[in-house]
Amino acid sequence: MVMDKSEILKTVNAIFVDVLDDQDVILTYDTTANDVEEWDSLNHIQLVVAIEKQFKIRFMSREIQGWSNVGEMVNAISSKLN
Amino acid sequence: MRKVMNEHIHYICERIAVLSPIHSKKLRKNMEFFDDRYDAMADAFFKKYVGILQRDNKDLDYAIDCYLQMLADVTDETVEFLRTGKYTSTTFAEVNSRVYASPRVMEYYMHGLLMSQFLFKHHYQTLSFFIDTLPQFINTTKSYLEVGAGHGFYLSRALAILDERTTFTVVDISETSLKFTRQFTGDNRVDYILGDIFEFDNGKKYDFITLGEVLEHVEDPLSLLLKLNSLLSDDGVLFFTTPTNAPAIDHVYLFNNVEEIRDIVISAGFRIVSERSFLSEDVSAEKAEKYKIAVLFNAFLQKAGA
Repeated sequence: MVMDKSEILKTVNAIFVDVLDDQDVILTYDTTANDVEEWDSLNHIQLVVAIEKQFKIRFMSREIQGWSNVGEMVNAISSKLN
Repeated sequence: MRKVMNEHIHYICERIAVLSPIHSKKLRKNMEFFDDRYDAMADAFFKKYVGILQRDNKDLDYAIDCYLQMLADVTDETVEFLRTGKYTSTTFAEVNSRVYASPRVMEYYMHGLLMSQFLFKHHYQTLSFFIDTLPQFINTTKSYLEVGAGHGFYLSRALAILDERTTFTVVDISETSLKFTRQFTGDNRVDYILGDIFEFDNGKKYDFITLGEVLEHVEDPLSLLLKLNSLLSDDGVLFFTTPTNAPAIDHVYLFNNVEEIRDIVISAGFRIVSERSFLSEDVSAEKAEKYKIAVLFNAFLQKAGA
């Protein structure tokens, strides 16, 4: 599956809206957990699992622990898809 | 907002806000929940704990790193659990070589768990249930046995609450765990035994047995409960805790729900005297079920005929 990063961001945004149950979440590459109140440790795990399912990919444990913003998350997804 | 009273807790919260912003949010919520009694206990605990760390040339930063490492392990295990619906290990041999027989892993794991005693809401709720109920059994408890004392914090509470003539025995499979327990309790009334509870038999019966978060670590929890039933005096009391849906590096047996735990307790010849279930996350029951959030089940048991 070839997807550019803006498409990935859009899909990830939809997953955040669904998992966090918050229609108002608008992600950019620079968004961090500090910008989204509901993005806590519990929801982080749910987001990881939902993203894996959506894109049919698997993250390594150091990836799950290591993202400091949404851009790094999108890069990790992109590198597995393209 | 509730003021964090304890200087050590305050430092831990500030440091975790920097090192792990996503965990920090949960920690802040937990702090709101805690009460004055928590503050008093946390104060006494951290004074003692920091002293133990210092004697080992370590500090609170080291303990925070251990705690975050333990959480990172739990995150990995949880992601895998949600992918597969199973725990990553299913045999004792696997977790023994992976965790218990590894001094490096046990070291950070024990420090991490000890920290969680004062940072996790459901661990504090469980501790409160234990220390609020145990005084009912002061007069009937002449002998106390703890199986898998972990870091020794429950034992230290039992030593403080029960009669000074009570005898105390600890059986644990891990040398690191026994070292922690010894350091933490520092009480010469305790007989520490390194060994497998399934092979333990000194011909004695115990009036009170504590089994804190052990059942999920064994392949056959029913056998363990039957063994403890045989070690318990006729009117004795068993306090045990075990979680549902709680992936961890050394968890082997998966309880899918609280009903499965109750069933096994009954099968082992016990009746439930009182019980509590504490959710590991601050979510609705609906969300807990949907996302398979861990529930920590606690109960005081007696033999079915007692």
